[in-house]
Amino acid sequence: MSPRTDITMITEPFMIRAFLAALLLAPLCALLGVFVTARRMAFFSDTVSHAALAGVALGFLFGLADPTVPLIGVSLLVAAAMYWLRENTELFTDTIMALLLAGCVAVGIIILSLLKSRPADIQAYLFGDILAIGWVDVGLAAGLFIIIGPLVFARLNELSLITVQEEIAHVCGVPVRRLNYIFVIVLTLTVAITIRLLGIILVTSLLVIPPAAARSFSRNLRQQILLSLGLGLVGGVGGIVFSYQLDVPCGPAIVVSCIGLFLVSLFLGRVRQRRAFAPPDPLGRNL
Amino acid sequence: MQPEKLHKLGAPVVEVRDLWVDLGGQNVLQGVTLSVPAGQLVALIGPNGSGKTTLLRAMLGLQKVSAGEVRLFGQSSLEAALPRIGYVPQRFNLESNFILSVREFLALRLRENRRWFWQSHRQIDQRIRGSLAEIGVEALLDRPLAKLSGGQLQRVLIAFSLLRKPELLLLDEPTAGVDLPGEQTFYDLIAQIQERHRLTVILVSHDLSMVYRHASWIYALNRVICCQGSPQQVMNAESLKAAYGIHVSPYGHHHDH
Repeated sequence: MSPRTDITMITEPFMIRAFLAALLLAPLCALLGVFVTARRMAFFSDTVSHAALAGVALGFLFGLADPTVPLIGVSLLVAAAMYWLRENTELFTDTIMALLLAGCVAVGIIILSLLKSRPADIQAYLFGDILAIGWVDVGLAAGLFIIIGPLVFARLNELSLITVQEEIAHVCGVPVRRLNYIFVIVLTLTVAITIRLLGIILVTSLLVIPPAAARSFSRNLRQQILLSLGLGLVGGVGGIVFSYQLDVPCGPAIVVSCIGLFLVSLFLGRVRQRRAFAPPDPLGRNL
Repeated sequence: MQPEKLHKLGAPVVEVRDLWVDLGGQNVLQGVTLSVPAGQLVALIGPNGSGKTTLLRAMLGLQKVSAGEVRLFGQSSLEAALPRIGYVPQRFNLESNFILSVREFLALRLRENRRWFWQSHRQIDQRIRGSLAEIGVEALLDRPLAKLSGGQLQRVLIAFSLLRKPELLLLDEPTAGVDLPGEQTFYDLIAQIQERHRLTVILVSHDLSMVYRHASWIYALNRVICCQGSPQQVMNAESLKAAYGIHVSPYGHHHDH
């Protein structure tokens, strides 16, 4: 591994693309993650991301150089199948998700095994790769950021109400069913596009870790959202730097940097909690 | 109050006609017909599984009905009626990962105030102040909604409902999980609010003594309306046996009433 200087890190075109992708996608995932964790949808996102493996495999099977289209297509299809099965069968939601997750991974691996020449960059889809992030990916991330970011803030009332309780939201005039569909589509698209950065296996972590880290420090939703956005941003960009410096896949690097932030927030949150509940000093000193 | 008197009180706020609801192959409601006049506190009583919650949900459009009709405020359009309705559901669990404060939750009710996220606490408090003082939830404003006790949550939900100045308030077993003194205070509060705002209240309750003290009209439900009338008429052994199927003591017969 050749020594790398800080200057090349920010001037190399692939690094500019990687930083841009992280700057756009990490806060977006962290923002959606606040609602994903509160609505217990982390497993949903895991299912959608793993289903993308079948999409990637199909893309290679049809000889596509960039399997982004089948990846997004299969993810959306699986999300729709999940909803249909939930509404039309009596199966538990997590049974449906486990079924679809395993099924899609199995199909994906079978297709990949049948291919005569194994595509070299399948690992990039599994764990993320800064070298693999193209301008198309950055463009998709930017489009997603520009549309979904403002949409979440514009619909914050409705989104918060359905997170509290769907019946209350309905009585408040929120179109619960429609909003749930939109949320699922938005989440599926975000997960599918973030796969380039984090990889199929780890993408859910960017939805879960920043809100969880923000939680130990927040007293209200506003603080949780803002902190989650900040932590997602720092974790995402920090992970890209680690990935470059240590020459490791960027997915695990981002996850490790987010977990580092989570541990720090957990520790500081405990300290703050202890201070808040500390008995008053008997001598009246202002400690 | 005599039945004739009750039904002379003007146009009914809620009218349910021959309502049938099928849940998992079972007819949970079998041709329920009822009418709730404006300004009354009407209680729905009945044993578990008698369809009380289903009936309330059907009124709110939360439950698919197989036959029959629900009219709110004299019209069949639910969208037009919803802004005039407040609803307090049964106790529910909120994921503790979601740190929505009571202040923020109340701000969600103000449709015209979509920008609460960017406003200071003082700005939000100014808008929710009216409902706060009346229900006595000022001290809870900074608490996360998910960490409230049963009684605190119910008060916050009432305050939430009142923010939009509803004409009809629906409460589904609002005191489940609340201790006895808390329960009494809660029902007193409901009665006060009902009188002060001239609200129409429909209350699903298991607590016959509270119903006896506060309701102006009672519907006893067991898939069909078994009996109806003023508390004095319904709260007797025969009527309660008709609704509950077994002998139930109308222990709510307070002599001070």
